[in-house]
Amino acid sequence: MKLIYPVLTIIMAAAGFSAATSSAADEIPTFHLTIKGHKFDTETLAIPANTKFKLVVKNEDASAEEFDSMDLSREKVIPGGKSAEIALGPLKAGEYHFIGEYHAETAYGSLILK
Amino acid sequence: MGNVLFIVWRESLEAVLIIGILHSFMKRTSGDAAKGLRFIWSGVAVGVALSVALGWVTVEIQDSLQGARLDYFQTAMLFLSAALMTQMVVWMNKHGRKMKKELESSLSSAMSTSGFWGVSVVAALAVAREGTETVIYLYGLSLESSGAGMAVAAFVGFVLALFTAWTVSRGIRFLDYGRFFKITSLVLLLSASALVVTGTNRLIEMDFLPSLVNPVWNTSWLLSGSGVIGGIISAFTGYRPRPSLMLVMIYALYWVLTLGWIQWESRVSKASSLAAVPVSR
Repeated sequence: MKLIYPVLTIIMAAAGFSAATSSAADEIPTFHLTIKGHKFDTETLAIPANTKFKLVVKNEDASAEEFDSMDLSREKVIPGGKSAEIALGPLKAGEYHFIGEYHAETAYGSLILK
Repeated sequence: MGNVLFIVWRESLEAVLIIGILHSFMKRTSGDAAKGLRFIWSGVAVGVALSVALGWVTVEIQDSLQGARLDYFQTAMLFLSAALMTQMVVWMNKHGRKMKKELESSLSSAMSTSGFWGVSVVAALAVAREGTETVIYLYGLSLESSGAGMAVAAFVGFVLALFTAWTVSRGIRFLDYGRFFKITSLVLLLSASALVVTGTNRLIEMDFLPSLVNPVWNTSWLLSGSGVIGGIISAFTGYRPRPSLMLVMIYALYWVLTLGWIQWESRVSKASSLAAVPVSR
């Protein structure tokens, strides 16, 4: 029975933590990428380093695409006509490559974190 | 066209390989192989149905709340798969050792039903994980280009994946008992660790875990992780060229716990088999 107190404390701490992060989520800078004709509209995107950010990837093609980046450790399937939000950072400065896995020979780019 | 073939091959390979391993394990050790195979194939059927359902849900998603729910579900699926696969390896090793003994003393044995269920669920989850992406990919393709050529390419890609897995499963069937278990255990545990990696990255993205230092090192000069070979190595081992400190810690923790568990189980079963044999005077 005594176990319930530490468990409750952890749950409450987690709830407080997620509440704190969700209120901070409003100020997270957002960057946009669009896929059209199996290509990303921006091949290099400059982003500030060491801070959280959000990448919104819009797929304007009819077919699906998978945003795939080993450097960023993110994989996300985006059906045709949909967009996906990808939460990232904080990341150290550097260049991080990404591809559209289903059309890797045309769909690629990188994020430059400075 | 070649692209379609390759993507379908690549997406199906993992699931097909895991099922190939389960299949050859059943053939090799089960006292009642037909029953075991029925459990595998019903797992596959459930997995296919789940893929279509999840693919449909993904395509039909309207808002970010639904998207977040789907993310939670898929992340839970990743960790559940990893846990079940790890548990199955422990079980397979224990069972395999026992089976060998019983085969040698020409006793037939039926596997416990709970073991069969485990295999069935692992098969279903393996198919559902990879199948969902394939369903979305093929659906999108059918919207964009309604060519019979595409369907043929997709089919050929799938058949090639089956052939690849068949070759592997055929190959390992000729290995002696000890090597067979070592190799299949290693492949399954590495795949499970790769699922832990994907799942951990999802938890970091959802803000449930901090990334701590990100990235902690960079080995993309050695192996970038993209491209054919890098992609397959990443999918089967959890390799990432630029991992976060949190990811490295969880990965290490997975292996410490898993290897510790296997060690402990083998000590327990050794002790119990010693106790079962009456000491001759």
